[in-house]
Amino acid sequence: MLLCDEYLTVTTLGEALAELQAHRGRCKIVAGATDILPWAREGRAGDVHVPVLIDISRIPELSGYQVSNGRARLGANVVFQRFLTDDLLREHLPCMPYCAVWFADDQIREQATLAGNIVNASPAADGTPPLLAMDAEIEIARLVQGSIEHRSLPLSEFVLGPGKTALEPDEIVTAITCTSMAGYGGSFQKVGRRRSLVISTVCAAALAKIDSSGQVIEDVRVAVGGIGPVPMRLKDVEDKLKGERISQDLIARVSALAADRVASRTRQEYRRSVVCGFVQAAIEEALVACGAAAPGSTQKEAAHA
Amino acid sequence: MPDLEIQLEVNGRKVRRFAKPYQRLIDFLRDDLDLTGTKEGCGAGECGTCSVFVNGKLVKSCLMPVAKANGAKIETIEGLAPPGELTTIQRAFYKTGASQCGYCIPGMVMAATAALRENPNADVEEIKERLGGNICRCTGYAKIIEAVEIARDVIAGRIGPAALEPESPVKSYIGSNVRRIDAPSKVSGRLRYAGDMVMPGMLHMQVLRSPHPHALIKSIDTSAAEALEGVACVITSADVPGKDGFGVFIHDQPVMARGKVRYVGEAVAAVAAEDIVTARKALSLIKVEYEPLPAIFDPEEAMRPGAPVLHDYAKDNIVKHIPIRKGDIEKGFAEADIIVEEKYETQQVEHAYLEPEAGLAYVDHDGVVTVISPSQNITHHRHMLAEILAKPINKVRFIMSPVGGGFGGKEDMIYQGMLAIAALKTHRPVRLVFTREESIISTAKRHPARITYRMGLKRNGRITAVSFKMISDGGAYAMSTEGVMRKAAILACGPYDIPNLQVDTYGVYTNNTPSGAFRTFGAMQVQFATEAHLDLCAEKLGLDPFEIRRINMMRDGALTHTKQKLGSVSLGRVLDAAEKASRWEKGPPNMRGPYRSDLGGEDTRPPCTLGARFRKVETPARQEVA
Repeated sequence: MLLCDEYLTVTTLGEALAELQAHRGRCKIVAGATDILPWAREGRAGDVHVPVLIDISRIPELSGYQVSNGRARLGANVVFQRFLTDDLLREHLPCMPYCAVWFADDQIREQATLAGNIVNASPAADGTPPLLAMDAEIEIARLVQGSIEHRSLPLSEFVLGPGKTALEPDEIVTAITCTSMAGYGGSFQKVGRRRSLVISTVCAAALAKIDSSGQVIEDVRVAVGGIGPVPMRLKDVEDKLKGERISQDLIARVSALAADRVASRTRQEYRRSVVCGFVQAAIEEALVACGAAAPGSTQKEAAHA
Repeated sequence: MPDLEIQLEVNGRKVRRFAKPYQRLIDFLRDDLDLTGTKEGCGAGECGTCSVFVNGKLVKSCLMPVAKANGAKIETIEGLAPPGELTTIQRAFYKTGASQCGYCIPGMVMAATAALRENPNADVEEIKERLGGNICRCTGYAKIIEAVEIARDVIAGRIGPAALEPESPVKSYIGSNVRRIDAPSKVSGRLRYAGDMVMPGMLHMQVLRSPHPHALIKSIDTSAAEALEGVACVITSADVPGKDGFGVFIHDQPVMARGKVRYVGEAVAAVAAEDIVTARKALSLIKVEYEPLPAIFDPEEAMRPGAPVLHDYAKDNIVKHIPIRKGDIEKGFAEADIIVEEKYETQQVEHAYLEPEAGLAYVDHDGVVTVISPSQNITHHRHMLAEILAKPINKVRFIMSPVGGGFGGKEDMIYQGMLAIAALKTHRPVRLVFTREESIISTAKRHPARITYRMGLKRNGRITAVSFKMISDGGAYAMSTEGVMRKAAILACGPYDIPNLQVDTYGVYTNNTPSGAFRTFGAMQVQFATEAHLDLCAEKLGLDPFEIRRINMMRDGALTHTKQKLGSVSLGRVLDAAEKASRWEKGPPNMRGPYRSDLGGEDTRPPCTLGARFRKVETPARQEVA
């Protein structure tokens, strides 16, 4: 049970930062609240008393998004459902609809924010691998002598470990920026124990672009989550595929590199055996999504048999 | 703690109330506005029984602080149709029989409503996807999905409203779709389960549970808890007035732990207070001094001499041993051409009904104590409770509230005693609603079983002898273990005619969560072993698995190994139908290479995919798997 003495609904970033400073050490930021409420239950944190909750979801300057100069800037209040329903976001972030549809369910996606998913820094966070693949940066604000100061850092330097980020206690994540991937095909693969509302045992995001011949991989981005303390981008896999002709055999061989990245605390063997398949499937699906011919599934089954 | 002023529009009416800053929207709707059609199945966003519309978007009200909804327009199940009327979707649920226990149904109706509002032409895949956040344990979803499809087509005018009308039975009710008379109350959210019931002056109970699997209770100090403002009473086993003990066959379980605890999650003390927050605070003030004892978690180890003993009356830790002997087992094995031996294990399973345990007890003007709860065995509970309370039977009353899913899990009287004692002690109504976590940690599970199977067969597939030994983990208390062991023994070798057999089933005490009744009551475990074993034997003999079953199946007039004469046996017809429906390829189980042709038909479920709403490209045709 989550108990608090005060629930503050703030409407400006300045107000939020001032409250954060005033209640330093005895408050928590709430955006969607879809993770903090289940967290304060038996088996996780149990009954928790947080004196002050600061709700930032009604701050207009943290809401909405812009796309300009090849980058998308997503306000901290952008919820997961938006990636499914917003045409412009689907065009610029082509793997996000697939990520979103596997994230929780329709109802939670209406509340849960992408920024919240990143800040909670779960090793299995579904939002992190696609953002790593899109060179995401995290924008952060804090109050210094009454005025708002901003800084930003790459996502790879922001998430430090399970539940650990580079965010200081008096800071708030205000936005996430990432490269616009318009023209790429996107994919997101995930396995867990249930279709909806499941925590990823392994997840993989991929983005791919083919050249005009439709035969050569011009660019590819791959990242995985759930297999270690922090989600990670697979640059080695990307480098071995860039500029190569599309070949199922090559993709399969290169995807096998992912197995050695498994560093989870549990179910290592299982994760080793499935992660390569997911990476492979994600790359193939991303290629198909940008117009490549679908790989023959009979061929695939035969290869596995 | 300053209260928040909350202003909402709920089902078209303006509402202004003060709320606690930590209240969730679900608490506000249920406790402050008495809109109990919104259910709490898990409190963690997993189950969808609490789905409501907030400003037109469906959300889980257990994941939303009420402050976050401030100023919003809320629509709950009660607001979908005017009182006494049903929406098209609700009528379709009524028509198809989509509501069984009904506990998930308000949330399902809300999710279906949201799905068709978002996309009135959603296809079946999209409907499934949009309902993905809602769990049902009774229907297997088929009737729910069917209802949404019918509603969609009626709303769009593709089919007439007659599709919502009941079918009239042609000749017999058997084989006809008959509507449930309680469905309108379920699809509209009007039906009140025990956790939805309130009485004036009602207290709220919370239970202190054991953190130890096996420990002596040296002392319990409740003084600080009792001194807390808002606490009406604190009870322990010392407050049990009569003969403390309940169980389905053996009354080995105290209302609250007496002298020692035997599993993690066992009730040790309970608090009744003005509100849940106070009751939970009081729990943290109860001091229990434990002396941990060696605990035993494996039933085979528990059977060994020298193992820690759970109950004084059963020094060997055996709850029940059921032996069955038929024919001459030695002779049977001697006649066999091959003997196949294998071990099988099944796991503990939670019932996970959507309605967590809940109950409300009160004492009336005549001193009759009444317990309202979703008890699956109220008459037995009444008799046991009368003894526990040392009251004549006419002073104890049980009312069975609607059961929001039971599956056997609500046969045990694990909390009704505490409620009755607290009601008697305070003379006020007392309600206890389990959290999902509490339900999982403290209530009975399906018996995990370890089965050693030995089967002798002739080359032609005829079984000559079976030796069957099952050791089941009964957990800390007997509950239904005896009955489960009996049924497991009776059904041990399946519907097969076996001339010589030896069956032994053992239910054993351990310090695990107690095992109890669960659908099939022991048959599932033994059938798993028997059917798996027959497949292995078919493989070893080079026989088709259907054939080996036909060779050995009981036929009309057969005598079971417990000497029950079977007038008619439908197994032959069942096998024929299953063989046809599964497009079975004749041959032993291991005859296939990497390809098989019996998969991927229209009637098989494709692998799990998501994205039906935007993935308009056809996925490549499914292929056979290795």
